[in-house]
Amino acid sequence: MSVRLRPMTPADLPAVLAIERASFSAPWSERLFAEELERTAIDRAWIVAERDGAIIGYGGLMVLGPEAHVMNLAVVESARGSGVARELALELMAIAVARGARRLTLEVRERNAAARRLYESLGFTQAGTRPGYYADTGEDALIMWTGELTPAHVSAMRAADAGTDLVLAIETSCDETAAAVMRGGRELLSSVVATQVDFHARFGGVVPEIASRKHTEAIVGVAEEALARAGVSLGDLDALAVTRGPGLIGALVVGVAYAKGLALATGLPLVGVNHLEGHIFANRLADPELEAPLLALLVSGGHTAIVHVPEWGRYEVLGQTLDDAAGEAFDKVAKVLGLGYPGGPAIARLAGEGDPAAVDFPRAMMRSGDYDFSLSGLKTAVITYVDRERRAGRDVRLPDVAASFQAAVVDVQIAKTVRAALERGVEWVCLAGGVAANAALREGLRAELAEHGIRLSVPPFDLCTDNAAMIAAAAHFRLRRGGFLGLEAEATASLPLD
Amino acid sequence: MTRVLAFDTATEHIAIAVADITPDAIRVEAQRDFSAPRAALSALLPGVRDLLADSGIAPASLDAIAVGRGPGSFTGVRIGVASAKGLAQGLGVPLVGFGTLDAVAWRQQGHEGLVAVVGDAMRGEVYPALFRLTADACERLEADRVVRPTEAAEMWAARIAEPVLLAGDGLAKHADVFTDALGDRASVAPEACWTPDGRSVAFAVAHAAGPPDVRGVTRRSRAEAYTYAHPALLLPIYTRLSDAEEAEKVRRARSEAP
Repeated sequence: MSVRLRPMTPADLPAVLAIERASFSAPWSERLFAEELERTAIDRAWIVAERDGAIIGYGGLMVLGPEAHVMNLAVVESARGSGVARELALELMAIAVARGARRLTLEVRERNAAARRLYESLGFTQAGTRPGYYADTGEDALIMWTGELTPAHVSAMRAADAGTDLVLAIETSCDETAAAVMRGGRELLSSVVATQVDFHARFGGVVPEIASRKHTEAIVGVAEEALARAGVSLGDLDALAVTRGPGLIGALVVGVAYAKGLALATGLPLVGVNHLEGHIFANRLADPELEAPLLALLVSGGHTAIVHVPEWGRYEVLGQTLDDAAGEAFDKVAKVLGLGYPGGPAIARLAGEGDPAAVDFPRAMMRSGDYDFSLSGLKTAVITYVDRERRAGRDVRLPDVAASFQAAVVDVQIAKTVRAALERGVEWVCLAGGVAANAALREGLRAELAEHGIRLSVPPFDLCTDNAAMIAAAAHFRLRRGGFLGLEAEATASLPLD
Repeated sequence: MTRVLAFDTATEHIAIAVADITPDAIRVEAQRDFSAPRAALSALLPGVRDLLADSGIAPASLDAIAVGRGPGSFTGVRIGVASAKGLAQGLGVPLVGFGTLDAVAWRQQGHEGLVAVVGDAMRGEVYPALFRLTADACERLEADRVVRPTEAAEMWAARIAEPVLLAGDGLAKHADVFTDALGDRASVAPEACWTPDGRSVAFAVAHAAGPPDVRGVTRRSRAEAYTYAHPALLLPIYTRLSDAEEAEKVRRARSEAP
């Protein structure tokens, strides 16, 4: 039976008081509730949640101009953990913004972990404390606030809860200008990627200034195309999303400025997505069976990291590269061997004809005991080896060098990923990022994990490389958690995954 | 009549205006300018939002967006252009551009005669452009380019035989080069007038020659104007390639040299 929300009346007070007294060590009196209800036409709002005709929760709000204060919220013990408190809180938020409030605040007991989790999951963040606020226990009150909200923000959060949120996502963190339209974080309606790879190829790597220029040229057309292919217009959307880091700062800035411009013009809420969580979410798009907790090995031209995902939208970075990213190492070695750009596919192709045991390149940090990587030494080792062989007048067999280099990279990644997966006891490992296209890594990891009964998820190639579908998928969870960006938002080149 | 929201972020000073522009009149409805060094991304759109709200102007009442295309800071210009593209596409209105240096020249309104604008191009270079300002017009006499200050100063010294007013944020580092070369022909505008303000931005938009331009927008229906000045089409003025391409050009020139 579903939950019904309606305004509280004086007749509800006996049921409300019963829940109040069972929930709080210092409950409100009947008289206090009665006085509150007399002010509902002025500046208060009180609601109850009913199931099967019985009151199972309630909440109240005071609206003072642009600010609203959540005064009380409780759910009967037997109905806790079923999302009733979230529904009540969202309804209070909707009432507050409908009455003109733009930010909400509340106090919560420091030790009330369930309440703190609830409010954090609705976009409230801690802004201060009132020491010893609760007389009965001497506990501190944490003061929490939301950011700027409009009715559009709250209805977008509710659409995300219902799984109907329609989101346009923008991605410009490196050298692909991308936009995608997604419903409910899963149903991909369109995904458009304008790649710049040809403009960067002759320089042997991504030139940041060229990337920024190309994004500026392409962004409107790419977003228009994504909307057109999805068969929707801006007016149909619930929210906008944009990658705000990590990545090339000049490139990120274009997407963030553009998305904020769209948001100001349309009044649509904007959520900011971490590019790395996007890569992890690409797996969720490709593999409907995939469930957290899981472990992700994130390997691309800009990143190499092992991330534990206890639940969707929460991340714990276990280790990462201390210098070059894996894709970067492939590019640099390909350049040394004269194989062109991008280096990953070129080396993988050549490695297929070579002997991975021909040259014993170093496996850096293989036994470091942590989950970090170091790849710059390996690149130097390849250069040194090639130079030495050539100086000695020996023929350098490039397929052997490529295969041996690739094996050195892949061995460390597989070993550390498997160890982390076993330590965390996960059933799933996700391979994410452009280097997931490397067959040696993919198949080697799959075989090792299979020996321990751990399943590997690898997205199709077009979801491994940078795209906006994965940003839209991650945005769904950010939206549910009220992770909105204001017009003041910046792009951050080294945004940590949190 | 066309109600235009115009702004410029090519310098460290952000200028924003809302103006009603007709073929023979410019009425500035609201304007704001403020210093925001390396902060255009965080400061521009809040500035736009607040200016519109404080002036009681609904975003939906805007007929067009206009943005300074530079030359100036590459990132600064791109923040302005990308924000303008999002705004124009989001509102479904046309997007037109204007030159940042033109807006600096318009900032000298009241002065009649030559105005030499020196934009800061960083790395010891400047964006020079010469204008002739009269009571109701600002004629551009040179195209945008990037050169060393001494080169611009020497060229102006040879070309200019009358009083000239110097302005532009490039003077902060290079004023002496220009006053030395031009001698008593040169006077220097007050530093507060070296960057655009809301009013000068509005005048630069109204007088910018496209296509597309605001006159072309005014002549067309809303739907036709959107196609004519589509937000996808507008691009920044850089005057310089990326470093990687400049270096490549030098390499090629060397390898082709006999």
